[in-house]
Amino acid sequence: MRLFRDAFRFQAALTLRSPDTVHVLVTAPLYTVVFMAISRHAHRTDLAAYAVLAPVLMSLWSLALLTAGDLISRERSRGTLEAMVATPASFPVVVLARITAVTTISTVSFVESWLVAWWPFGVVVRVEHPLTLLWCLVLSALAMAGTASAMSALYVLLPTARTLQNSFTYPFYLLGGILVPVSYLPEWLRPLSRLVFLSWSSDLLRSALSPAPVVDELPRLAAIAVLGAAGCAVGGLMITRILRRVRSTGTLART
Amino acid sequence: MRYLVRTSTVLRYSAANAWADFRASYTWWSWTFGWLGRMLAQVTFFAFVGIMLGDQAQLRYLVVGNAVMTCVVETMSVVASSSSEGRIGTLPLLSAAPVRLAWVFLGRSVQWPVSGSLTALVSLLALAPAFGVHWSPTQVPALVLLVPLTALSTYAVGLFLSAFVLTASGARNLLSNSAYLVMMAICGVQVPVDFWPSWVRSIASTLPLTHGLAAIRSVGDRAPVADVLGQAGLALACGVGWLVMAVLAFSLLEQHSRRRDAFDFGG
Repeated sequence: MRLFRDAFRFQAALTLRSPDTVHVLVTAPLYTVVFMAISRHAHRTDLAAYAVLAPVLMSLWSLALLTAGDLISRERSRGTLEAMVATPASFPVVVLARITAVTTISTVSFVESWLVAWWPFGVVVRVEHPLTLLWCLVLSALAMAGTASAMSALYVLLPTARTLQNSFTYPFYLLGGILVPVSYLPEWLRPLSRLVFLSWSSDLLRSALSPAPVVDELPRLAAIAVLGAAGCAVGGLMITRILRRVRSTGTLART
Repeated sequence: MRYLVRTSTVLRYSAANAWADFRASYTWWSWTFGWLGRMLAQVTFFAFVGIMLGDQAQLRYLVVGNAVMTCVVETMSVVASSSSEGRIGTLPLLSAAPVRLAWVFLGRSVQWPVSGSLTALVSLLALAPAFGVHWSPTQVPALVLLVPLTALSTYAVGLFLSAFVLTASGARNLLSNSAYLVMMAICGVQVPVDFWPSWVRSIASTLPLTHGLAAIRSVGDRAPVADVLGQAGLALACGVGWLVMAVLAFSLLEQHSRRRDAFDFGG
């Protein structure tokens, strides 16, 4: 737990000092402007909640992916990766804690998006079920960290996969129903989207802002937790196996 | 005359560097299934917004706007690739060379508008018909000219911004992403430019994307050729204006950095 806390604090300090890492805190309000403009122009103010929530999930996803990619490559370029791996501290825990730090920071984008809807668009998006919103945001941030740790394992094994880092954004925004609910997707795609935790998060976040009672809240929160835990388990397992292999072959610097 | 020959040689070598950089970053496989796939997913994402709105005209507007936007997103990578010279420590050498820094950087990232134009044309001609946006064979040559015009004129905007992150590479993603999102919001990609207040419209009118996209929409609407040419001319004029500003910005940066010894090898 202490290791997790220290790695979390280290990454939080690092992130807040790097303008590029927190760029989502600038882009999230801009995405809100784009989505709010579309809904206002179409006279669909009922979609304001969607316009506020989508940039939050986009920030969570893109910042976690960026960190997952940067984390390994930066340690490698600084020459500290070998030292990190040689310490008795669990490397997967360090990776998970550091990604959790950035996903936690990126939840600030919810406040930004809400403020942009209020000014300049004059739309006050009411949070009808604050506890549901809070739980959903916390679990989504953790699920994101778990999923991203699996991605970081992929980047250790295949540095060239970082070229594709950018490619993991919009396909998942679409599958995750973050702006357009999954029910609008073709029927054959819907089962696949249910395997992406974002689809559960986006649905539940929208329910949290809707005046209607939240149906099946616990099972939906559980789905986010289970999918996040699965990503985390896969990530941890992959990192452990990859490190064992590169330790025995002495190829860590070359992976 | 000698100056022109030397400048064109610098541009040629710089463009060769850009091409080598592009080949090192992508294979045909990773470009097609990684990059192109990602950009087509972005267009599809906004197309589904149109479907959700339930209005065919809105769907068409979003599909065309976002298909053209793909070339802008890619072109704005000029900010990141220019700043990489600062990170790898080549700026003092470039600054000491007997050529203007602006010409080096003009060729240095030319891979992005070329690749971006290809991405936008695939989006317009192959993906857009899936959402009901069809083009007749007579409209295609106009698109093939107008999309690269939009990409190249936007490249000048990106080049201007590059001068500001050359010595502050930590802000490269922040600047390029913010710049293309501002263009996405105000240049008529998602909503007509008229939607915005007059001061926003004034800013939009200085950006090449506003006019390039308007020209492409005019082609789609079968507007008179004069309308298309008028908008294309404005896009070109804006592009030239931004290029002049980029050259000035690089010259000022060069002078300032030489005086203050601001370029270093450290990266």
